[in-house]
Amino acid sequence: MRKPHLRLSLLVSCVSLLWIAAFATPPPRESLGIAPQDENYFRSSVIKCKDGSKQFTRDQLNDEFCDCPDGTDEPGTSACPGGKFYCRNVGHAPLTIFSSRVNDGICDCCDGTDEYDGKANCQNTCWEAGKAAREKLKKKIATFKDGVAIRNQEVEKAKQAFAKDEAELAKLKNEEKILNGLVEKLKEQKERIEKAEEEERLKKEKEEKRLKEEAEKQAIEDKKATQDSQEGNVDATLEKSSEVQLQEGNDHRTEVEDGNNQENTKSDEGDEVDDQGNIESYIGDDEPIDGLSSTPTLEEHVVESEDDNMIKAASRDDSAAKAASKTSEEQDHAPLDTEGLSKEELGRLIASRWTGENVAPKTDEVRENAKEEGDEYRLDTEIPEPAEESYDGYNSETDEEANRYEEDDFEDERDEEYNEDHIDPADSYYSDEAGKSDHSGGSSWLEKIQQKVQSVLQAFNFFKTPVDLSEASHVRKEYDDSSSKLSKLRSRISSLTEKLKHDFGKEKEFYSFYDQCFESKQNKYVYKVCPFKKASQNEGHSSTQLGRWDKFEESYRIMHFSNGDRCWNGPDRSLKVRLRCGLKNELTEVDEPSRCEYVAILSTPLLCYEERLKELQQKLDDMMRQPSTHDEL
Amino acid sequence: MLPRSLVLLQLLLLLSSASAWKKDEFRNCDQTPFCKRARSRPPHSLPSFSVADVSLSDGSLSALLLPPSSHPLHQVVDSASHSDSPDSPRPLLLRLSALHGGILRLEIDELETASGSRRRFRVPDVLLPDVDDRLRLRLPRLGSPAPGLSTFPISPGFEAALRHDPFELVVRRSPSGDPVLSFNSLGLFDFETLRPKRHGDGDGDGDGDGDGEWAERFRSHTDSRPRGPQSVSFDVSFHGADFVYGVPEHALSSSLALRPTRGPGVDSSEPYRLFNLDVFEYLADSPFGLYGSVPFMLAHGAGASSSGFFWLNAAEMQIDVLAPSSAGRVDTLWMCEAGVVDAFFFVGPGPKDVLAQYASVTGAPAMPQQFALAYHQCRWNYRDEEDVAAVDAGFDEHDIPYDVLWLDIEHTDGRRYFTWDRALFPHPEQMQQRLAAKGRHMVTIVDPHIKRDDSYYIHKEATENGYYVKDASGNDFEGWCWPGSSSYPDILNPEIREWWADKFSLQSYKGSTPSLYIWNDMNEPSVFNGPEVTMPRDAIHYGNVEHREVHNAYGYYFHMATSDGLLKRGDGKDRPFVLSRAFFAGSQRYGAVWTGDNTADWDHLRASVPMLLNLGLTGLTFSGADVGGFFGNPEPELLVRWYQLGAFYPFFRGHAHLDTKRREPWLFGEKNTALIREAVHLRYSLLPYFYTLFREASVSGVPVMRPLWLEFPDDKETFNNGEAFMVGPSLLVQGIYQEREKSVSVYLPGEQSWYSLRDGVAYGGSASHKLDVREDSIPSFQRAGTIIPRKDRFRRSSTQMVNDPYTLVIALNSSLAAEGELYVDDGKSYDFEQGAFIHRRFVFADKKLTSVNLAPANSGAKKFSSDCVVERIIVLGLPAGAKKAVIEPGNREAEIEIGPLNLRAGSSPVAPTIRKPNVRIADDWTLRIL
Repeated sequence: MRKPHLRLSLLVSCVSLLWIAAFATPPPRESLGIAPQDENYFRSSVIKCKDGSKQFTRDQLNDEFCDCPDGTDEPGTSACPGGKFYCRNVGHAPLTIFSSRVNDGICDCCDGTDEYDGKANCQNTCWEAGKAAREKLKKKIATFKDGVAIRNQEVEKAKQAFAKDEAELAKLKNEEKILNGLVEKLKEQKERIEKAEEEERLKKEKEEKRLKEEAEKQAIEDKKATQDSQEGNVDATLEKSSEVQLQEGNDHRTEVEDGNNQENTKSDEGDEVDDQGNIESYIGDDEPIDGLSSTPTLEEHVVESEDDNMIKAASRDDSAAKAASKTSEEQDHAPLDTEGLSKEELGRLIASRWTGENVAPKTDEVRENAKEEGDEYRLDTEIPEPAEESYDGYNSETDEEANRYEEDDFEDERDEEYNEDHIDPADSYYSDEAGKSDHSGGSSWLEKIQQKVQSVLQAFNFFKTPVDLSEASHVRKEYDDSSSKLSKLRSRISSLTEKLKHDFGKEKEFYSFYDQCFESKQNKYVYKVCPFKKASQNEGHSSTQLGRWDKFEESYRIMHFSNGDRCWNGPDRSLKVRLRCGLKNELTEVDEPSRCEYVAILSTPLLCYEERLKELQQKLDDMMRQPSTHDEL
Repeated sequence: MLPRSLVLLQLLLLLSSASAWKKDEFRNCDQTPFCKRARSRPPHSLPSFSVADVSLSDGSLSALLLPPSSHPLHQVVDSASHSDSPDSPRPLLLRLSALHGGILRLEIDELETASGSRRRFRVPDVLLPDVDDRLRLRLPRLGSPAPGLSTFPISPGFEAALRHDPFELVVRRSPSGDPVLSFNSLGLFDFETLRPKRHGDGDGDGDGDGDGEWAERFRSHTDSRPRGPQSVSFDVSFHGADFVYGVPEHALSSSLALRPTRGPGVDSSEPYRLFNLDVFEYLADSPFGLYGSVPFMLAHGAGASSSGFFWLNAAEMQIDVLAPSSAGRVDTLWMCEAGVVDAFFFVGPGPKDVLAQYASVTGAPAMPQQFALAYHQCRWNYRDEEDVAAVDAGFDEHDIPYDVLWLDIEHTDGRRYFTWDRALFPHPEQMQQRLAAKGRHMVTIVDPHIKRDDSYYIHKEATENGYYVKDASGNDFEGWCWPGSSSYPDILNPEIREWWADKFSLQSYKGSTPSLYIWNDMNEPSVFNGPEVTMPRDAIHYGNVEHREVHNAYGYYFHMATSDGLLKRGDGKDRPFVLSRAFFAGSQRYGAVWTGDNTADWDHLRASVPMLLNLGLTGLTFSGADVGGFFGNPEPELLVRWYQLGAFYPFFRGHAHLDTKRREPWLFGEKNTALIREAVHLRYSLLPYFYTLFREASVSGVPVMRPLWLEFPDDKETFNNGEAFMVGPSLLVQGIYQEREKSVSVYLPGEQSWYSLRDGVAYGGSASHKLDVREDSIPSFQRAGTIIPRKDRFRRSSTQMVNDPYTLVIALNSSLAAEGELYVDDGKSYDFEQGAFIHRRFVFADKKLTSVNLAPANSGAKKFSSDCVVERIIVLGLPAGAKKAVIEPGNREAEIEIGPLNLRAGSSPVAPTIRKPNVRIADDWTLRIL
């Protein structure tokens, strides 16, 4: 390929030299600025304006007087505002410019033909420029060639991965059905046990009460011993009724949660399930054992946080909320209390009106927090969402998506948690034991569970009084294990469903993007783009949401992220990532051409389309061929 | 995590709901002791002054103005403290003088006393330097037609009459004696003389008597007022007037004339305040003070006569316009915190006479560079060199001309002016050179707040030389502005102005090139943490002048020094271009101004016209409003309408706030791009006409953009028309100020008809026409009887149009006659002052068009020539049938055919058009239509 081109170039250079010589004198007036394909149009002695408005004689062609309002008669002069001037640019690519550029003293065509009145001295730079352009084009073609190959592999991989995930989803759904049946059975069993335990407990309580009363009597009788014996009693009581206390604690906790979670439509059984979860997280104070415990854990943070800032912020929150609830009209007329401000604070405050910088006029601390935290949480705050949704710092789900699973609210929470986990590849579904066994041994883990449950259920004797504690705990444990597995399973199902519903391109070629994020460091910011999820601008620990995944645009050439953090006085932030062919995935040139409207470029082999490669090759061929065409003329 | 994020939300809400004018942060009259005192007095309630010891000296009349003897001068002064105390009323010195051309000057100041009392501040360097030399009396002797009355002539047909007791000054016609202007006719003249502070004088903390005399608090700020009360107030009556205009800057969306602020039938209103302030998100209609102040008022009435009054005083001023008690007279009350009476009465009689008289005192507008009249593209901020290149390329790509690209504060290194953020602008010279290669220019911002940073050379020099304004305790004043803690050069001092001017040399201003010009913003001065967002009144300037005395002129001196800097940079050969936000009387000599931080809404679009008209009437003709509106995001329709209107502003610049969406003209779809291109093209085609009008303004003081009544002074319909305006004598333009407006009523004044600029259709004069509103243009008309020179070839920038041929558009009046002018020079140097210009008058009569030389035969040593020819002459209103024209000298023929009024796709032929007469504009010639 290259050698013939080289020879051709030599030819081109000779020809173009001839052309330069030819243009040393101004070209004939009649052909000035006319494109080759239009030459015939202007051959007749009476010519029509292209818009049909009138006609003109050949004398009037390029006579420096505009006759056709559309500029037909003056392609080669600046007389008509709407005119277009064609330059051949031999050695480079032909160019059509506005005829207002003709004889304006600025060289626009590389062949210099647009400046023929002698006032500007334009060199013919077409060969140089054309060479550079051709080199550039050749490089681009080389990239495309390699890129097309990579792309084909990627497309294949993506297709396979997609098929695999689809198959897995089908399998998981089946397993879920089975496991769900088991859990239901266990639950039933567990409830029965608990009912029995409850009866027993009431009995015990009565007995204890009686004993206590007796003890008190004794205490009155023997004052000296009172304190010790009382302590002893309390200890004993605590020990014996530890479960009761925990239960109470949990009741309280449940109330809190109910208060916060209006969508909590759990059945009574559900509450109990929840209680169990709480007990475990309470006692163990370990990693939450299943998704259910995550919500109470959140509450714990909110209620018990020792972070002063947070508490202050929370209390400020109220007053700020009140202030914000005032009508803006009131705001306008309410004098801003500037009395307490230092000179600098006042200056900053007034300046902030123009700039919108975050300036908290009253509490430095809050201001600093605001600065530190950046805009990370603005998104959450702007769309008031139930606490558990906001908790998910990730927030890839819109309300709409969440509602899709509203038949089971648990699903949401677990689902989100799963997503959260999923950001960190180290903590994925597959790292879980159950997951591993699932992966390796097909449904064997399920079978095992089935057997185990069966045996547990059979072993338990309901008619034994008091309840056999070890048997009961077996049931409970089995129930917990199974429901934990079930929730993981469901979580995986929903995340897979969530993933698969996206549009991954005509050939599913963008499937691998789902689990990838692309980063680019520009000055102090790190930009992070996670296709199908979100994009953010990070500075240190603070993060600003540039947008949530919206869609592909321009037939998969642009990834659009919208509804990011709101800008002061401006729009919600948004990001358009333009994709272009490159040999590896690389995020570059993040820019904010318009306030809070970001753009970036992502090079990826996925954009190295074969058709485009052909176009480019065609273009290069045209560039190489052009001089010889003229040679023939 | 959650609560914190909520707090952020609330903060954001607080900030965004806070985006509106902060009424409470600015003082009203009641919170301003001098204003409250003066405003509370009804007419004739004060004991009156009387005149004594009238004498002639140095060509002017001098007299003593005796305070009322039976009463203490000031009601607020405890009457127990009496005659011998230093507080007792002292006589004032009155001086009257006349200037050529119908101007009377009145000065009233304290007598110099031996007691070492401080002289009151008189604003320096505003009046033209030769004003004092031009002072003279027409007659060697005073007349005294009646006892207690001194008269003397001012100009033919006008005289001044000074009544001695009670003191009153009347400017009147002679011999009829009809008054034109009068001073103290309502007996409201008051003058608080300086006095030492005594024990027990109010310090502002107490209530009652001493209210704000010696110290006053406003919000968190205390003004120490060490010199006590020193206000001046008086009434001025405009006789034969129906309306008064001027005293900018106020936002006026509902009226061209100043609406009455007091009197029967007037809703309670603040007086018009003149106090230069940086007002965040100002309202579209309010008497509060904005960025600049020109204490010059014009009056006009049904007798087709005008008059004017100018008070040279730079302290805070408040002006009441009283509802007319009788027809044909407008009374006004002028109140000022400090200073002296140095007032000028302009007798007219025509409105343009008043403008010329004012210009003869404060100067005519400077002749701008040609490029500065073209379109300017600005934004806060064009971020970096790539952004600049992209915007520049965008204009070319969309075939929209522009001449100047602007950089706002973010181009600097940390808002240290004269520096560049080298990360964003590593190669400022090359950037400017790239623009210059396309004939384009760049403007960078230079504000007066200097960052207090020891490593910043400007700060270092200013500190070392003691060049900063001082605070009340004598230390460098520190305020907060864009760079953070800042100080402000004491630009009142000529030495400091000199120093400042030197900073603009190419050697000093690194990264600047000769194609770079300057923008002065924030020069009110804006001080974010100061009282009313400006400098404390007790700050101290050069000569121990308090800031309160010089406040309204601070921006003026800054503008002056910057302009001088560019003049120096160009070795006196390059006309400066400096845009300033703050202004004062005389700012027209130094450059352009604009109406500051307006808002992208229809009301602000509407307000721009009365605002610019009033600026033009007070000398500041090179003015514009931010096209598109600074704050907020205009709907495309509003933006297009703004371009269509802004194309006729004398200063035509698109600008936008940092937080707005990008709004370069091509970002709103093809249709809107085409509409904006059309509007910008119209401006470019009219550049020869605009340039000619600027020449006229620089000679006569008559503004480029004119209220209708300036051209039609006897047409009462026009007196308060703030929706339409004239561009020069020949064009009438009316904006479209409402969304999706279907039809609009346009009043066309005068006897002659008007030709629509769009399609040449004629409309009768002295009538209102209901017109369909079109998307592609706003109503605009050429007056019959005029000739407008155009250039219809659209280039990248005005620079490339220099050699392009002209089109003359002749609109014939009912007697088939018309005339117009064309002024051309090199567009940038001062050679025109030595005769290097072409000035032609085109006269069409008896089917003959003649080009007459208007340049004086011996206008100077330099010549300007041009090879430009006229390529097309369109004659609107010519009866059909003409086929040929013969050109003399040379006896050449040119064809006549019916052609379109504008060269745009789809335009249809409407008028006889002379093809290629190709007569040179520099030559005398005659063209006869056969």
